[in-house]
Amino acid sequence: MIEGVRVIDFHGHVGSNDIMGMVDDPDLMIHAMDAGGIDVSCLFNIYYPSGTRGNDMTAQFVARHPDRFVGFAYVSPLTSADAMVAELERAIDTLKLVAIKLYPPFVPWSLDQPQWDPIYEFADQRGLLIIHHTGSEPQAFPKYLANVAPRYPRAKFVSGHSGNTPECRAQAIAAANANPNVFLETCSTFRTPGVIEQLVAEAGADRVLFGSDTPLMDPRPQLGKIITAQISNEAKAQVLGGNAARILEI
Amino acid sequence: MTSLSFKPRVPVFDANVKVGDAHDELSPCPDRAGLLAEMDTHNIQRAVIYHALADKTSPVDANRALKDWLGDEGRLYSQWAALPTRRSLEQLGELHAQGRVSSVRLAGLDIVKFPFRPWSYDPLLSWLSQEGIPLWLALPEMDAHELVSTLQAYPDLETVLVGAHYMHALWVQPLMKALPRAHLELSRFEPIGQLEDLLDEFGASRFVFGSWYWRLAMGPMLFYLHHVGLSDDDLALVCEGNLVRILGEQAND
Repeated sequence: MIEGVRVIDFHGHVGSNDIMGMVDDPDLMIHAMDAGGIDVSCLFNIYYPSGTRGNDMTAQFVARHPDRFVGFAYVSPLTSADAMVAELERAIDTLKLVAIKLYPPFVPWSLDQPQWDPIYEFADQRGLLIIHHTGSEPQAFPKYLANVAPRYPRAKFVSGHSGNTPECRAQAIAAANANPNVFLETCSTFRTPGVIEQLVAEAGADRVLFGSDTPLMDPRPQLGKIITAQISNEAKAQVLGGNAARILEI
Repeated sequence: MTSLSFKPRVPVFDANVKVGDAHDELSPCPDRAGLLAEMDTHNIQRAVIYHALADKTSPVDANRALKDWLGDEGRLYSQWAALPTRRSLEQLGELHAQGRVSSVRLAGLDIVKFPFRPWSYDPLLSWLSQEGIPLWLALPEMDAHELVSTLQAYPDLETVLVGAHYMHALWVQPLMKALPRAHLELSRFEPIGQLEDLLDEFGASRFVFGSWYWRLAMGPMLFYLHHVGLSDDDLALVCEGNLVRILGEQAND
């Protein structure tokens, strides 16, 4: 909690990548959250294409600290449409995961290709939120969100990393401006000067979500991006948690 | 206790600021006044600066361009870029004769994959070691084995390792252990919990705050350092004191 703001980190992982120092130790993650003032982290496991094992791991991780973690489901179009939908039904209805994470760079299809449609249709029917990794990988250009979002108006779409690079960030902002169901998430190792200010100025403070990529990155420097940005405290409050609480209904 | 506004609680001397345009990228900060204003925004009193042309183009021209950024207000400290070429060494020698060299930064190591070995760098490394001038090296441009084996041949040389990233999560602890005169600059060092572990193992004297503005935003890592449980004394070392010690008497003016 920071000055009465319930801080929600919209981008975090379950699963380890020890080679890069990413260790999904809940005690370590909660220590970093507490030291910065982060109340809740949204987590997903992107390392298992079927989703099944990874979603189980996410659910188990969240169950240990249900007041601090929220779980998102993951599936991949490397599997069949039927398998994706079945796993999403299990993850949402049985495991009680609350949203969907997708990672286009792991597959050969850009995020607006038909291979993804069964996921989008499922999210649209349920009114669920999807956060994509977006960036400079050809499958993950945020401009494709502008093709998808109008077709599924009851779903919400989040551009993870807000595209990361200047060109892709412009695409992400354009997608958000064209579609009320597109939002922008802030984590990025690039930490380019002026990005938070740009997102708030060009898309609106009500469309920007704080994220950190924990535990790949310690959430504190990513939190510092928002706190030290030259935006109003009201905008910071929206970005840090107000928007996430509203769109996730948590 | 975190608040929506942040102000450092100790004086801050930034160890790593890039100025000027690169050949392929414009700086968001056009001039010295703009840089000082950015520093004021983040309550950073002083900074070591080098010119962006050093990264990929020419340390000699970078050093010439850097002179436009230096003033007499005592807030911006020149860091001269170097290559192991006669032209670069002559330029450094002239600057040193004028009493203007408090630190040097290796330039463009990864552009041509020039090995960092005593046979290739000895004139520069011997001179720096003899004159007591510290050397900044960008970790992402280095071969770790070359870094260790070469610097171990110059045991008196103080170094600052810049830009360690989560891609270097496996590198940092063994490097710090193998190179007792090396300091870690923290602008990109985000592996979760590792900074606290390194502080416990090596002590605060081995770390310096650097923002690497304008490549990175100036404020976030300073915020981070204020939220890793450092005592005020240790925080002051990381944010200012260690850098003052590394730079020597010119930084105390």
